Amino acid sequence: MDSPVPAMAEAPKGAPYDPAGLERGSAGPGGQKTAEHIGKSPGQLMWQRFKRDRAGVISAYVVGFFVLVAIFAPLISKLYGKSPYTLYNSASGKPELFDALGYPIKPNGGISGEFWFGLEPILGRDVFTLLIYSIRTSLAIAVAVTLLTVTIGVLLGVAAGFTGGRTDTLIGRFTDLMLAFPSQLFFVAFMPVITAMFVAPEDATPTWLRVAVLIGILAALGWMRMARIVRGVALAMREREFVEAAKVSGASNWRIIRKEMLPNLVTPILVQGTFELPTVVTSAAGLSFLGVGLVNPTPDWGLMFSRAADVSETVPTFMFFPGIAMVIFVVAFNLLGDSVRDAFDPKAAR
Amino acid sequence: MLRFLIRRTIGALIILLILSAVCFFLFFAIPRDPARISCGEKCTPENLELIRRSLGLDDPVPVQYWNFLSGIFAGRSYPTGDCPAPCLGRSFVHDENVLTLIQDRFPTTLSLTIGAAVVFLVFGVGAGMIAAWRRGTALDKFVSGSSLVIGSLQIYFIGPLVLWALVYSTGLFGDPAYNAITENPWKWMVGLILPWAVLSTIFASNYTRMVRSTMIEQLQEEHVRTAKAKGMSSGTVFFRYAWRGALIPVVTIFGIDLGTLLGGAIITEFTFSLPGLGALSIASVFKADLPVLMGVLLFSSTMIILMNVLVDAAYAFIDPRIRLS
Repeated sequence: MDSPVPAMAEAPKGAPYDPAGLERGSAGPGGQKTAEHIGKSPGQLMWQRFKRDRAGVISAYVVGFFVLVAIFAPLISKLYGKSPYTLYNSASGKPELFDALGYPIKPNGGISGEFWFGLEPILGRDVFTLLIYSIRTSLAIAVAVTLLTVTIGVLLGVAAGFTGGRTDTLIGRFTDLMLAFPSQLFFVAFMPVITAMFVAPEDATPTWLRVAVLIGILAALGWMRMARIVRGVALAMREREFVEAAKVSGASNWRIIRKEMLPNLVTPILVQGTFELPTVVTSAAGLSFLGVGLVNPTPDWGLMFSRAADVSETVPTFMFFPGIAMVIFVVAFNLLGDSVRDAFDPKAAR
Repeated sequence: MLRFLIRRTIGALIILLILSAVCFFLFFAIPRDPARISCGEKCTPENLELIRRSLGLDDPVPVQYWNFLSGIFAGRSYPTGDCPAPCLGRSFVHDENVLTLIQDRFPTTLSLTIGAAVVFLVFGVGAGMIAAWRRGTALDKFVSGSSLVIGSLQIYFIGPLVLWALVYSTGLFGDPAYNAITENPWKWMVGLILPWAVLSTIFASNYTRMVRSTMIEQLQEEHVRTAKAKGMSSGTVFFRYAWRGALIPVVTIFGIDLGTLLGGAIITEFTFSLPGLGALSIASVFKADLPVLMGVLLFSSTMIILMNVLVDAAYAFIDPRIRLS
């Protein structure tokens, strides 16, 4: 235990999370050097440790699979021969597969050799293509939000941690203020209001605008944790010898931030980003589920859940496709985040 | 202690003031015409005029904000009725004072929160302690593994799933509903048992993971080792020494979770059609009932801030080394 008493006393200010391991002195992991450590860069060591973590490697493959599905969704659906926008319910589709209420007639939500995952009740889209396109939409939104939160978080975090003093206090207060917002309620309340700023009430809202507002709102209330972590690392690094050496040798602040700090920030950002991306996916889906995010016929994960909840009494099969896919997705991302963190900072592993 | 409370209360009031200003200006200043948005797609000129008058939109926005703030302390009167202090505004959709609406809905949210909190504390913390107690065994691996999966579940997936499995297809439970505990405690419990179970699953795993790791850490601390060396029973060491140290992070996230939930569990209330604050806010979004939304936002933020202060005060009781200053 590195420092039992101070760690306890600091606890109220947030978990004593130390992503960069900077508080632990510079002895390096475990403090001893074995043969396999010699002559390897920290990055190589990290990669070596990561490869040995079986759960991490498997989850990396699963995450990679989801990313590939999202990227190649158009290609997959072309090979499969269907599009997520075809309404099989209509006269031009296959109306004989649906009953009068718009539910698929065949059992298990209309699963067949032709429609692998069945047919969507009401609108009558193919569930397989709908799901892969939904993953594509959700992942694209989540990546955009995560990139934005990383940018805001790093800018504010470095500014606070590196400058210190009054700037630090000011940014810290601002972060606290933002954390006092009830975020889910804020998302729900402001989606329509912000959208209304750009569209006249009698016009229909274009999809790209909905997506843009969704990304903007999620990012506006999502950067705080990243900023806190980056600030912590930057603050600790300011006191380190290599930064002081750079200062003494006359490097400008900008150069110190760019050349000395940012490379050391990459891993904590990567770890935090891996944890944040699935939460963005789930909260965006929650908004669509509640009816304030995206709207049909845009393929979206949350909208699939909303349809599933509506028809769960009659077509329960439908909910399992988006549901199980999302569980696997979130579990894989969390496991990957754990493994990346452990590989980077083996002492944090418990 | 008193100085701490005064200082934190002032801080909380400042945060609420800023927050209300941000919300107010976003609601009433930026949209082209809040009355037009509130009026919906089928809008008659008479309705528009009524809404405009009841919102007091003829005044400039800062004046409106001042009226809103002074209404909290002095009350206001609207063309549609009086709103005594503390007045958070008046809904023109419900023709009712916002505070009355919040008071009507809060018992549901409170019941949901308390029940779920009991469930996730007992199961989440309990599972974490068991895992730490039997660290490294198959039981520990099972608890850790399942808490990872359970923590990845979403209410909008397991909510409908539970409804389908236990209500629609098997009829084991009736439809979830809210009944006042004062009228019939048994009905109150039966009606909320499914929402409690579903809501608590997503919180419980957080506690399990954290309690497990902090307990393991605590068991290696010096004071715990000393207690062991003095020959205390392992039960005493575990519950009186290690547990006390693990309590701080639990209290921290419990405060956050409680504050969030008391402002309305939106997705749970929506999924199970429970008439709580979350359901009120989502309904107000669709009807563009801006005064109600404003009121619920302020109320929820107050809950979050209040819980933060309580948590900080609780630290001093748990760990005397922490000074409140």
